[in-house]
Amino acid sequence: MARYGMVIDLKRCYGCYSCVMACKVKNHTPPGVFWARILKGEAGKYPNVVRQALPILCMHCEDPGCVKVCPTGATYLDEDGVCVIDTDICVGCKYCFMGCPYGARYAVEEWGSYFPEGLPVTPLEEFQARAFEEKSGFGVPTKCDFCADRRSFGKEPSCVAACPAEARIFGDLDDPDSEISFLIKTRRGFVLKPEVGTNPKVYYLPPR
Amino acid sequence: MSSKLHGLVQTEWGWLIAIYLFLAGAGAGAYVTGVVLDFMGPEWATIAKIGVFFGFPSVLIGTLFLLADLGKVQNAWRVATKPGTSWIARGTIIISVFLIVSFIHLVFWIFPFSGLENADGLRHLLGIVGLIFGIGTMVYTGLLLGDAIPIPFWSTVLLPILFFVSALSTGIMATILGSSLLFQDSDLVHGLARFDILLLVMEIVILSAFLHGAHRLPSSQHSAKEVLFGGLSRFFWMGVALCGILIPLLIDAIFHNNFMAIVAALFGLAGGLILRYVVLKAGAMPPMDAAGFSFRPVSKPKLPMAARGMVPPGNL
Amino acid sequence: MTPVRPGIKEDVWIPTCCGQCYCMCGIRVRRQDGIVTEIEGNPDAPTGRGNICVKGLAGPQLLYDPYRVNYPLKRTNPRKGIGEDPKFVRISWEEALDTVVRKLKEAQEYDPRSVYFQATTTQASEIRFGVIGFMKGFGTPNYWVSGGGLHCGNGAHFMNGIMHMAWSIIPDFANCNYALNFGCSKGHGAGHSAVMNATQAADARARGGKTVVFDPFQSAQASKAWEWVPTRVGTDGAIALGLVNSLLNEHGIWDAEYLKYKTNAPYLIRPSDGRYMRNEKGKALVWDLDDNCPKEHDDPSVMRVEYEDQAHDVALQGKYVVDGVECTTGFELLKEHVKKYSPEYVEKISWIPAATISRIAKEFGEAAEIGSTVTIQTSKGPKQVPKRPVATHFFRGSQGHVNSGWTCLSIDMVNHIVGAADTVGAALGLGAAVNSGYEPTGKPYQMPYPCPDGLMVAGAWVYDHLPYPLHEPRQPQRLDLHDMFPTSIYNAITIMNDNWFDLLDQFKIPYRPKVMINFGSNSVMTMGNAEIVTENFLKKFEFIFSFQLYVTEFEEAVADIVLPDACYLERYTPAVSFPSTFSHPQGEDDWGWTIRQPVVEPLFERRDFNVVMLDISKRLGILPKYYKGLNDAVPMRYGGPMEDKYKLCEDGSQEHTWVDICDRLLKDRFGEEHGLDFVRKKGVFTWPKKKEDVYWKWFQSVRVPIYFEYFIDGGEKITKLMDSYGALGKGGPLDLDWSRFKALADWYPCPTHTLDNPEYDMHTFYWRAVMHCNSLTQQNPWLDEMSQEDPYVYALQVHYDTAREKGLKEGDKVWIENPEGHRVKGWIGLTDGIEPHHIAVAAVAGHWGEYQPIAKGKGTFFNDLVEMDRDHTDPLTLNQDICVRVKIYKAD
Repeated sequence: MARYGMVIDLKRCYGCYSCVMACKVKNHTPPGVFWARILKGEAGKYPNVVRQALPILCMHCEDPGCVKVCPTGATYLDEDGVCVIDTDICVGCKYCFMGCPYGARYAVEEWGSYFPEGLPVTPLEEFQARAFEEKSGFGVPTKCDFCADRRSFGKEPSCVAACPAEARIFGDLDDPDSEISFLIKTRRGFVLKPEVGTNPKVYYLPPR
Repeated sequence: MSSKLHGLVQTEWGWLIAIYLFLAGAGAGAYVTGVVLDFMGPEWATIAKIGVFFGFPSVLIGTLFLLADLGKVQNAWRVATKPGTSWIARGTIIISVFLIVSFIHLVFWIFPFSGLENADGLRHLLGIVGLIFGIGTMVYTGLLLGDAIPIPFWSTVLLPILFFVSALSTGIMATILGSSLLFQDSDLVHGLARFDILLLVMEIVILSAFLHGAHRLPSSQHSAKEVLFGGLSRFFWMGVALCGILIPLLIDAIFHNNFMAIVAALFGLAGGLILRYVVLKAGAMPPMDAAGFSFRPVSKPKLPMAARGMVPPGNL
Repeated sequence: MTPVRPGIKEDVWIPTCCGQCYCMCGIRVRRQDGIVTEIEGNPDAPTGRGNICVKGLAGPQLLYDPYRVNYPLKRTNPRKGIGEDPKFVRISWEEALDTVVRKLKEAQEYDPRSVYFQATTTQASEIRFGVIGFMKGFGTPNYWVSGGGLHCGNGAHFMNGIMHMAWSIIPDFANCNYALNFGCSKGHGAGHSAVMNATQAADARARGGKTVVFDPFQSAQASKAWEWVPTRVGTDGAIALGLVNSLLNEHGIWDAEYLKYKTNAPYLIRPSDGRYMRNEKGKALVWDLDDNCPKEHDDPSVMRVEYEDQAHDVALQGKYVVDGVECTTGFELLKEHVKKYSPEYVEKISWIPAATISRIAKEFGEAAEIGSTVTIQTSKGPKQVPKRPVATHFFRGSQGHVNSGWTCLSIDMVNHIVGAADTVGAALGLGAAVNSGYEPTGKPYQMPYPCPDGLMVAGAWVYDHLPYPLHEPRQPQRLDLHDMFPTSIYNAITIMNDNWFDLLDQFKIPYRPKVMINFGSNSVMTMGNAEIVTENFLKKFEFIFSFQLYVTEFEEAVADIVLPDACYLERYTPAVSFPSTFSHPQGEDDWGWTIRQPVVEPLFERRDFNVVMLDISKRLGILPKYYKGLNDAVPMRYGGPMEDKYKLCEDGSQEHTWVDICDRLLKDRFGEEHGLDFVRKKGVFTWPKKKEDVYWKWFQSVRVPIYFEYFIDGGEKITKLMDSYGALGKGGPLDLDWSRFKALADWYPCPTHTLDNPEYDMHTFYWRAVMHCNSLTQQNPWLDEMSQEDPYVYALQVHYDTAREKGLKEGDKVWIENPEGHRVKGWIGLTDGIEPHHIAVAAVAGHWGEYQPIAKGKGTFFNDLVEMDRDHTDPLTLNQDICVRVKIYKAD
């Protein structure tokens, strides 16, 4: 039993896409699907302007909009507070896409290739298509699960492990001594779109 | 722009859901019209039957479109196991009850049986139950979207009202269409058309308020702009405003003949469908602003991902 | 390991080394049922420590891309050039090797020097061993590392070698409080120990370390900086000299101790010719203030090797009479010389407000905490050393200009003025170079030592041609006349004249280029204007064969044979992080010698370059010479001589496989028990780094120049030699401003600054996007997808106001065209993060090759705007200028 969460330190992050790629490779997501992704923004006017990257992923909210609208209970918070999808129950109505304020979900009808039709499917893509189907399946929403499989053998989520700037910290929000609890308290941790009231468990630390 | 870009605009729900929302609304609207007309006296009975007749099959076909949109239709039955959890589940209950009632109403009043023809009390009782769930169905289509809190364009009390008025209006138009095809000029049908004028005017007022409100709120401004000036503006101005509202309004106000009534109804029905489509496609989430930064989408040329090229000789 | 899925029989992680850029991080590659499925960082490797970048993660796609070259190909269309369809057909390896060997034999009989090796920086680890070994064995001095080599660090590497004995410089992130960055993204995506620097830079930010970035656009580094100072492209040298002036003459800040004992600042200079004052023994002199007399610079009384040592005070300023000649110090001359770089003057050049320059100089000077010290734990006990928590650093952006050499030296001079070099908190050499070696064997041993004038000589270097002392300019042997230019690494002399062969005639070079061996380079795209490169240079070769992963634009245009190379996941490389260039992080972590081992056997008919070169050498009958070439390449590059028992057999009595060669090198460096079988278990061999190797400045008895006396001699010798070939004349092929060979730094304008045609009102330059390295990564579908995710990578970045003025909007297709009429297409991405007179272009993009469809047509091919001529060449380093004045207009 834990209440897993993540802290993304925007001061450390420089928007290098390693997290996006690590997620893609490890979770075998097809083209156009990003369980982790990066948005880029600017603040201010020249010359007092700053660019900033904003890594986003499923926020694993305490009061998730996706769970609220799910008609079958296929989307739920597991005992560790991780928002997961039971694809055996999911009806594929896509209502959860409308309930998620963070655009964290992706529908995958079939495993698209990065290469045009007519070429032999590469062993890598063949492997990935199979692995993706077994894990996530098609016709149902797919999204980040804080790398459940990696956690099951004691590893951090792949985006956390890859980050060159070590801007991502994964941990247990219930543990007051955990690094992420400490950082949220001491570094003015905030969440995205608090006005929607979903209480995300992914926190951000201010860039400045 | 698409949800692929910064998760802004929803792309998951398209024509299939629009048709579902439209048919469910218009079908329930026609049924409700029929039931109400049935209450108004025996002279309305034939037209009432046409209204009730449209109810069941329209909503059923609409539901089939919903099923077609499901990613895992084999799990559809599970929705019934969790009633009350979500507007889809609640809607399923409402629509299911409506389908049962309207089916009984249809089968035992119109075709093939006529047991209810003379059992006014029973028929009216059934009609009241059907009326409740019919109205439920009409309003529900708006509530379904309205419960998507992250999409501020939808999350407004005006949307269920708009959808209700549009559903009733299109239901009446469907009834007029059926009646005009079956019968010669009828004052009753024209009376119905005059009532529809009222509904269309109401729709103009509600739609204006809805879009004005959306445009004023920063969080839904993007959606309103898409509808009024952006990629959806053609659908909106030509499809909804002109075909769906103005043309039927003018025709109904000016002409009083069968043919023009059919034309007006067809335009109105098409407009009702396009309205659902426009509202769906305009559903967007506000940009992910954080820490003073605006993470705006960039308009850039679409580049091919899996491009075709020459494969080195021998590889194939 | 726990398998993800039931039914998987094999699931292993193999430690090896990345090869997606030249930074070479340690990786672990996952192989499931024989398929490479995933890559992660190798926590055992000091280069990376388990973190990994976006390119490294994308490696598996490179292995399986259906567009990879899998079989030897032969050109059947004899016509060469851009746009020609090569009409490649598949041939057998036997036929390919027969042809190649026949051509090489013909060339060997004609003149072995007629063979030209062209390589890519992405394969740096192979270049420094296999390529060099073969060249030595075959007997050709002709090679270059194409675009990456010529553009990116031609000036920087050389100058950093002089000043830091390192390939590059970087702040000591762990201790630096105030860093000035000129046009680079070190620690923010650049392939300079990329992930370790990123971690350390992030740590520094978190700690409160400040960075000021001078750059025309908001690079990744600028976006994370304390302050971004928008500049005019190519003016970094002027800004740096402005800072030097401000420090010396406005704020009066300098580190006298450092300048006196660690530089040639106190050397007395003869006013008549700018040379050192020397005594009868030829020793350069300083003025001993305690004894009030001149002393030899290395007289023990005026030497202070360690900080704790005592020495006489020496004069930094003032006039002194030696042998009747009144002379002054190099420092005094510098101080006077930089006065012209007043903040106001620099403002005119760089568009940075004068007050900003003055303020930053003051902040920098104060943050340097001159006089402060810190005690570090060395292997000989605790030692006091200066702490200078400031640094300037720079790279591609600032050095890629016609003022390259002096710009590099000027920027680094800011460090040396305040003593912030190779000590705690200061600018450190990157990759870390000073190395006492693995204790039991003492290798790799890389220690600087003083030349007779006391200046630092690198004890080990990436190539035989040392940054200092300058070799004598000599009668050119090489096809690029390189022998004449001791301060350059590579040059484009081969390209910048329409008729290369006339030049060879003029310089009495008796042979012509015949065969080019290309190893991984796509020089059609990576040098400059593609047409010029192809016509002036590549088409002059009679036969070109190419080891390649893809059929690139180079192969399409000019290759006769394409050999399917194995990629980094399919080969052994015995030494990757050494010689230490970008492949070893600075700082206090361990030393790590990474190797590559195949994760899968080469797929299809791909063969490892190294193995094929052994095969070719054998067929040529030069195997013993090739072995000798490898043996000879080792001491300079890998620090220390080889033991006889590990040397490759030079008498022809024994053959070595590639695996055996790898094994021998490792055993020679680390002992019999630490051969390939040992190292492959972790993919890296590590040993502790000594503190005095990290912060070596006050432990080594060497000085660095701030007064470049020897450039005067160098310039005189070069011009004299050129004159002897009649090549000095106005408008001649080498009519460059040779007066730039002088002792004191200056800034020189680029063609972009002097052009006064108002039609060409925009400056453009290119920047390196984090997902790309050189031209290879563009074809990787995952990296392409990331590029499409980013708002800037495939766009031409234009300021909102500029676009508004020109009636352009976001997404518009435009041409940018240079005054010579070369133009490239792109589309506009709007931003506030760019100086409004600039357009930023990312990466070597805009491929047109038919065989790389994922790369094709994406981004903009910047290099086509780069004119390769005399006007765009730095006389000092022969670096190419890669900022361009353009006009921008809408394309249909």
